[in-house]
Amino acid sequence: MPKMVKIPLILSVVTLLTSGLLMLSEYLTHDKIEEQKKLLLLKSLVQLIPAQLHDNDLVESTLLIHENELLGHRQAQKVYIGRLKGKLSVVAIPVTSRMGYSGDIDLIVGIKENGNITTVKILEQHETPGLGDLILPNKSDWLMQFPNQSLNKLSTQQWQVKKDGGDFDQITGATITPRAVVNAVKQSLEYFENNKILFEQASLAPKMSGTNHE
Amino acid sequence: MSDFIRKRLIDNNAALVQLLGLCPLLAVSNSAINALGLGIATIFTLTTTNMLVSLIRPIINKEIRISLFVLLIASVVTALEMFMNAYFHELYLVLGIFIPLIVTNCIIIARAESFASKNTLLLSIKDGFFTGLGFAWVLFAIGAIREIIGQGSIFSQAHLLFGEVGHSLHWQFIDEYQGFLIAILPPGAFFVLALLVAVKNKLNATKNN
Repeated sequence: MPKMVKIPLILSVVTLLTSGLLMLSEYLTHDKIEEQKKLLLLKSLVQLIPAQLHDNDLVESTLLIHENELLGHRQAQKVYIGRLKGKLSVVAIPVTSRMGYSGDIDLIVGIKENGNITTVKILEQHETPGLGDLILPNKSDWLMQFPNQSLNKLSTQQWQVKKDGGDFDQITGATITPRAVVNAVKQSLEYFENNKILFEQASLAPKMSGTNHE
Repeated sequence: MSDFIRKRLIDNNAALVQLLGLCPLLAVSNSAINALGLGIATIFTLTTTNMLVSLIRPIINKEIRISLFVLLIASVVTALEMFMNAYFHELYLVLGIFIPLIVTNCIIIARAESFASKNTLLLSIKDGFFTGLGFAWVLFAIGAIREIIGQGSIFSQAHLLFGEVGHSLHWQFIDEYQGFLIAILPPGAFFVLALLVAVKNKLNATKNN
């Protein structure tokens, strides 16, 4: 066989085989990965929606939203709604920032009925180790700036990193990641203010399937 | 210990003597468990890629051998990443970018090129496993030393690897240890690696005398 034919043939066969391997792995792990993500989310929910602030079953009480532009969602996401004595008390809103240094940053923000943040959790990120990933709670306490903040306490101007004239610390050597996170958190607060009625209704009728604004 | 194994674990250790794969070695060795996790992942990758490279030996072509190796290594690592994501999810999140970066660990392509592409299947698997083990134990040693000095503990966060049983493995030597930050930070990795290399050289020198 001439080389012109043989070499592409070998490469094609090996590429096919390795693609097959990857498809098989994807097939075998897909469900389990989703399940693991869900588990991790449930663990985070305890901190986002503290037990004393709700008396309903959070897993049952969700609202499906798909806010591509406002919250950067790439697919429909669940908002978890906490109720106390039948009234809306806390929501946990997932938000995706597309302004990260490498890929999406998936966050979930807990917001009390009065607009104060309970806490912010990072679900997935691929920022530079040692720089951007210092936003993670086990690497630094950068995320601790958010609890109890709200749109009332800080102006739009203040809802930025210090470098941009705002109130939030950046991380030395990494401004892009903190900027992305601060912005995403702010977006979720604004979303909550503008759509509060939606969550209040959802908390009255927990079976409602949700809305899709796209 | 046979000469074959001894060479890979100690005498010609990929990390200590050849000083290959320093990026993960220095970056992920900030705790014993992180190091162990990545060490095991590397052993698995090396064994598998060596096996696959040895299997396709008959069709390996001089011109495209590097492309083939890269293709195989990248696929194996991507598959490994998916499985770690599925079964060791929290460890996967901790190790983050360093799992896909196993692809760039030059030990792997070095073994494919210099050993697996020229040797039989069984021998290649054996080579991959023991070269990987040689890398893993150095990684683990550095991780353990850095954690002991830096945090005064060992096997913290062991549940990431061993499940709930792992919590009982965690051992805090000194209560209220203030921490020795530099051991955890990147410079600490260089210091500890240098220390290990020095000890190894000293032992060699004594033996030769």
